[in-house]
Amino acid sequence: MAESQNFLVADGLRKAFGPFQAVDSVSFTISRKEIFGLLGPNGAGKTTVIRIMSTVLKPDEGRVSIGGLSVTGESDSVRKLIGVCPQELALYPELSAIDNLVFFGRMAGLSGGEAKSAARDNLERVGLQDRARDRVEQFSGGMKRRVNIAIALMSRPQLLFLDEPTVGIDPQSRNHIFETVEALRDEGLTVLYTTHYMEEADRLCDRLAIMDHGRIISLGTPRDLKAGIGDPERVTLEDVFLESTGRSLRD
Amino acid sequence: MTLAIHIAVLELKRYLSNRGELAFGLALPVVLFGLIYGVFGGGVSFHATANIVDLDGGPGARELVRRLDASDEISVRERTLESARAALDRSAILAAFVIPAGFSEAVESGESVSLTFMRRGNGGEEGQIVATIVRRMAQDMGREGRVRRLALASLEGAGVTPAQVDEQAAPLIADSWANPPVGVDLAYLEGEEGEFLHRVVPGIIVMFLMFTITLGAQTLVEERRLGTLERLMTTRLGAAQLFAGKFSAHVLRGSVQSFVLLVPAFALLRVGGAVGFVQVALICVLVAAAVSGFALVIAAVARTRDQASWSAVFLTMFMTIFGGTFFEIDGGLMEILSRFTLNRYAIESMVSVLSRGEGLLDLGAEAVVLAGAGLFAVALAGALFRTSEGRQ
Repeated sequence: MAESQNFLVADGLRKAFGPFQAVDSVSFTISRKEIFGLLGPNGAGKTTVIRIMSTVLKPDEGRVSIGGLSVTGESDSVRKLIGVCPQELALYPELSAIDNLVFFGRMAGLSGGEAKSAARDNLERVGLQDRARDRVEQFSGGMKRRVNIAIALMSRPQLLFLDEPTVGIDPQSRNHIFETVEALRDEGLTVLYTTHYMEEADRLCDRLAIMDHGRIISLGTPRDLKAGIGDPERVTLEDVFLESTGRSLRD
Repeated sequence: MTLAIHIAVLELKRYLSNRGELAFGLALPVVLFGLIYGVFGGGVSFHATANIVDLDGGPGARELVRRLDASDEISVRERTLESARAALDRSAILAAFVIPAGFSEAVESGESVSLTFMRRGNGGEEGQIVATIVRRMAQDMGREGRVRRLALASLEGAGVTPAQVDEQAAPLIADSWANPPVGVDLAYLEGEEGEFLHRVVPGIIVMFLMFTITLGAQTLVEERRLGTLERLMTTRLGAAQLFAGKFSAHVLRGSVQSFVLLVPAFALLRVGGAVGFVQVALICVLVAAAVSGFALVIAAVARTRDQASWSAVFLTMFMTIFGGTFFEIDGGLMEILSRFTLNRYAIESMVSVLSRGEGLLDLGAEAVVLAGAGLFAVALAGALFRTSEGRQ
């Protein structure tokens, strides 16, 4: 893949918290309009990678560029390109859904009118336009997850980080999120997606990296990864995952 | 700066949507003030109801009832004679006062007349005090009537009409009521500056403002818990704007909270006039800014609710105890420690305004310390946040 097509480039990322090496020599690229999956057991370092790429954490070593801009040196400019849907529900529960979206829209630099218009559009996109005025604390887990994604879209990002966006929700909400992500890809958005659910990764991701102990241990298309351990028509991504990361319990 | 304003608005929205915090911040100060008012009562130590039976109904009787009702110590309840007797019989009241028929005429002509003090037992302490007040007011009216009659008698034949005498005498009498020739001043043991309330009211206000530290110290811990802080850090919001926004919101909240206390303190306890109110209100804004800054310093470094709460409690207690919140500092180690508290400067400023009548411009050092502490603290908080978060 030519360098010019790479929208995100991570090269030799390392990050330690005290003696714990959370991210160790992580390198990969993501091209425009690609959905890139980051898989791995709990504690593998996926979220730390996202936190570095979204300008929240500084890496100890290595570099990341997004749209040709350095994440560490040009973080203000990088923030204009990205939208982040964190693993936690990062919402103000006492505010309504639309107030949450409008607020984060203003934080993304939208004017009042733009923020309100974008909030309505994004609530419609996640199927919550009828609940716009309700307090988020009254929402189900699945609805909160959808608001979480809608907020990430308020900055009109070119690169969207989705950190385990379907944790703990019902199949209907999960399916709605899949459809939303696929629609976003069709609209030209680049997505970095982390998940524990292999069928999700298989359905959504153009390429995948499997992480464990802070390192990338496998990287490729779902079909390539499956072909690496057997017949890609019969092998599942879960087989690949367990083959790569072992069967011992984590956490 | 626009982003800072949005942060401030968000902070206030969240505050207003939280009934618990609203109750703590606005309702509790009013309750506390009510208790203070109940204890100190704005300097009035006695208040009772006078049960009056007006068998006269003339202008003199009505004037007596009006004067009694207008006094600070008494509220009038008018009854019929039967109702008063029935209430006394069943001990619903212990005393009632009967204005006899002919009272107005007697007062007008300067003749002697007696009110009747109906009582059960000795009328109770309250009844006896009320009787004294009623007697004094009735006697005053009798004296006024007698002076009027004597004046008319001495002017007889001089071509002066009673109406002319009344016209001349009425404003003089009103003036003597408004400015009695002999007054009674209150003297307090506490403090050389004057009234006890002039120290207690600032103490209460500053203590409540100190709670801003506890609430404000939680602000980033709560944002971390919600995950919104990290989300905010991926937006265009900088640390300076984040802190400026939160600082503004806390200053506004603290100021409103102190105004909630100031208004009844000035209206009911009469601790000062309009100019004093404005000056103390401005001092409250400075104090609110200083405590908000301190709160944000804690918020910037605290990682858990417990860390934030206990740091805030320690700081609040230290400053409340050693800052001379409810008493004057009298030298020694206390004097030294008090210099490291906001309370000392805040309360000294307010006491200077309330007791010594000084203006804001006279408060040079205290005002500079309060304003400087707020600005320094919020700048320090921002720097600590950038360092501790590894913010780029």
